[in-house]
Order: sequence, then C-alpha cells, then structure tokens
Amino acid sequence: MDSNHYDVVIIGAGLSGLSAATRLGMFEKKVLLLEKHYVVGGLNSFYAKGSKKFDVGLHALTNYPSEYSGKKSPLLKLCRQLRIPFDSLNLHEQSHSRISFPGKDIIFTNHFPDFLAQIEQNFPRSIDAFIKLLEKMEQFPAYSVDAPELSTREILGNSDIEPLLSEMLLCPTCYYGSARPNDIDFPTFVMLFDAIFKQGLSRPERGIRAILDPLCIKLKELGIERRMNAPVKKLHALNDKIEEIELESGESITADKIISTCGGIETEFLLSDFKNEKNNTEPGEFSIMESISVIQETPKKYGWDETVIFFNNSEKFDYKCPDELVDLRSGVICIPENYKSQTEISDFKLRITHPANFSKWDALSKDEYQEQKSAYESLLLKNGLQYLNNSKMNEESLSGRILMTDTFTPKTIKHFTSHENGTLYGSPTKARDGSTRFKNLYIAGTDQGYIGIVGAMLGGIAIANNRILRSD
Amino acid sequence: MTKDKIKQIVLDIIADIAPDEDLTDVKPEVRLRDQLDLDSMDFLDIVMELRKQHGIDVPEAEYRELESLDSSANYLLPKFEASAAA
Repeated sequence: MDSNHYDVVIIGAGLSGLSAATRLGMFEKKVLLLEKHYVVGGLNSFYAKGSKKFDVGLHALTNYPSEYSGKKSPLLKLCRQLRIPFDSLNLHEQSHSRISFPGKDIIFTNHFPDFLAQIEQNFPRSIDAFIKLLEKMEQFPAYSVDAPELSTREILGNSDIEPLLSEMLLCPTCYYGSARPNDIDFPTFVMLFDAIFKQGLSRPERGIRAILDPLCIKLKELGIERRMNAPVKKLHALNDKIEEIELESGESITADKIISTCGGIETEFLLSDFKNEKNNTEPGEFSIMESISVIQETPKKYGWDETVIFFNNSEKFDYKCPDELVDLRSGVICIPENYKSQTEISDFKLRITHPANFSKWDALSKDEYQEQKSAYESLLLKNGLQYLNNSKMNEESLSGRILMTDTFTPKTIKHFTSHENGTLYGSPTKARDGSTRFKNLYIAGTDQGYIGIVGAMLGGIAIANNRILRSD
Repeated sequence: MTKDKIKQIVLDIIADIAPDEDLTDVKPEVRLRDQLDLDSMDFLDIVMELRKQHGIDVPEAEYRELESLDSSANYLLPKFEASAAA
C-alpha cells in the first residue's frame, strides 16, 4: 500500500481528534492525526509562563459522576471507550459554586438536592413549575442526534417559572456552551444542565494534562502517526468525495475517510471547490477575554471559598458578542485551587472571563492591542472583585500580592483553535451526526454540537464508532 | 471450541472493556444489559474485540445475538468452528 495512504486522516489534535484517533487505533486502523500547532489540545491546551503552569480552557470538568447521578455520567462512558481508568484522572470535586444576580444567589454543589433546595428557598413560587420543567427535560431526547433544536428561552418562558430564575439558569448553561446569541438550543441546555447540576464539576489534579497525556501515550502505543506543525492547505474534492489532502508543506496525502475537527466553516474554507455561498455553515461569533492572576497565599486567606461564580449585573442576562471590545456586565470567575485537592499551595489562580468581540480586537494595531489588553486586565480584576464573597480586597490592596497576570483575547483563541472569530463554541448550526456533502468527510468536535471537554471527547468517539468502525 | 470457552472469551472481553463491572455472578441465560451496566457503545466494543482477537465478524444487524452469554455462545460457536477449519 502507498505509504501516503491512510484508512483515516484526522484534522486537529484537540480533544475530539485525539479521542477519535484513539478509538480507531484501538481497532487497527491506519490513522494519521494532523495538527497545525506544536501542542495538542486545541482550545483545551496548556502552557507555562514564568515557571507557572496554566490551562487554557479548563475551568471545570463537567459530568462528575456524583452520588446523585450514579453511573449515568457520560464521563464514565468515555473513560470506558478510551480505556482510561476513571481513577487515573484523580478528580477533585468543586467546593461549591454560585450563580449571582442582583439580590439573588443560587449556590450549588455536586449534590443535586442542594440545588433543588436553593431553588425552593429563593423562588418558592416557582418550585412546582421548576419540578415540571425537570420532568420535561428528562423526557426530552437531548442526547439523540436528531434532537430538535428548540429555543430554551421560549421553553423557559412558557414554563411558569419566574423570569429571573430563567435568566439565572441560562447564565451558566450559555457560558458553558451556547453558540447562539441570547439563547441556547434546548438539547444543549438539557445536556449542560445535567452535566453541571445533576452530575457536577470537578478538576483533575494535574489539570488538562491529566487527560491529554494519557491520550498521547496511548496513541503512541497504538502506533498512530501524529504530525505536529502540519497544517492542511486544501482538501481536493471530486464530485462527492475528497480525493486528496494537500498539506501546507506541499505533501499530498490520500485517505478512505477524513474526520475534520477544525470547525464547519473552517473545513469548508479548506475545500478546493469552496465558494462563498449562503448555504455555507454560518460562523459563530461568541468569544471571550480571560484574565488569569496568580495570587500569593491561599484563596481561604482571602475568604474566597467558591469554585466557580457565574455573575450578571442586572435581572436580564444578555449573552452575545458585545459591540465593544469586552462586555463587563456579566462573566465567569473560577478559582481552580478551590477544587478539593489535598496538595499544599503557596499561590493560586483567579480566572475572570467575559464576552469579547473578535473583530474589534482584530482591528487594533499592535500597540493599541497591547494597551487595551492591559487596560482590560485591570478592569476585569476590579470588576470581578465585587462578585467574590467576603471580599475585603480592592484592586490596590490586592495588587501587591499578584505574582503575575496573563490575559488572552479572542485573537489568542483564533490562534490556537483556528476558529473564525475566535469563537468558543463554533457555529450556531450544528451537524450532530457529523455528515457533510462529501461521503468520506465528517465533522467532529465543536461544530458537531457536543460541548465542553466531555462533549468533545464523546463527539470524536461517536464519529469514530458510527462513521468508521460500525460501517466496516 | 466449546460453548463454555466462548462464554469465557466474551466475559474476558467484557472484563477488558468494563473493568469497573463485577463479573463474578453473571447469569448466562439473562440479558447482559439487565445485569451489567452495558450500553450500545460497549456492545460495539465486544464486536470489535471479537474481530481483533479472534477474526470473528458480527454484522451490525446481528449484534442482538450477543444479548446474553448463552445466546452469544449459540451464535458464535459455528463462526469459531468455521474460522478454525479455514
């Protein structure tokens, strides 16, 4: 056989690509995994700066198999499928987290009855309607590939729960996975609700590396060929088939099947017959700015005991790509050291995330970009401090204790994921079954519509299983 | 090849793919799904391992023949015999 011919070529070594490659390698497929960058992980990667280690994407690993959700967690499924022992992830559960709106807080843990009690306490008039909503969510086929993409806002609006409660439910679910402005499609809402509240939040002791390292080791053991710094230039199409994959290096590769994880529209851009048409996948727009401060001592010293805080400064949650560089009205704060780890620490991270506009950042000159980035770095911190509990800290009293701060913008996300507009959750239009107009090209990952680390991995597994292993 | 050996082969595969399941008391006549936490993804893995380890092909339309250890043994025995004779 031609040495440049593969059973399957996978574009992108993010979590969906790594997972698909592992599945295919387990069953003796000849696989080539191509990655544009020099690191794996895509949006969920890592880096080191000033001797500190940072995770890019990971705020929380959702779907913790809590006592309440039992064995139903998709996280257990993917461990089985990839033959990664669940215990090897060494997961630490969250302390507790909070959804914070003016005058109302909903606190939640990995014990779902606590969440129900919070709803009852804060929204006594809504509890019956909320229970009905939970039943509706349970009956809805959210996990099926042909689940109807209904509007969650509409369903919540018709459910008789108080409008403020609707907004407070939309805030964490949108932030953890909506590609739609000001709404989230109902299947994704149900999956994220289960993932965040019914199951729970946790973090591997070693961060995202605890997931990426075993996958990379496995790929090596399985003899999967992985090429880094190997961007694809063109997918040469003939009729309904991709005939050839041309790399930027000039090399030409052929494959029976191709799985592209770089996104819907991003894959279309690679097609040799690409035309700017209105039936192309619509690019997403939602992106973020995140500032990560490394602070001396422990979060406990500052009275900060929460893991994640989703906050909004008014009764109405407005989730969209902002008109200005950054939207400070709402955001997410995460203190990764507040996952219950036993490791002793001498410093900790405070991560503050806000919606941001890619085009505005992209239009800045190099100097303006640096200037705005550092200006927003302090604005994010100052603004974020008011949402942290028991905070006697203001920006000045904290500033001497900040060891370093690192900030990324939508441009950074574009750089690492190649997603148009630096979008976090891809296009509002999803291809759940991964199909494209080519019979040997499949989409996996973000634009398949399974969101987050667990979703990306399960998505890659599903494409490998249903489109390649099953069809042999 | 015997039916008992085939049941053991299937059990060994399940032990590999679902190390968290307790297999000490699996009843051969009862559906595997009813006594273990196995879903369609796990059954795909049983099929894939049969092919990889023993060269046995199970077409997708016949996956349900593997629903219990007894039905697996009945269904797989001729396949194992055919592959041994080949």
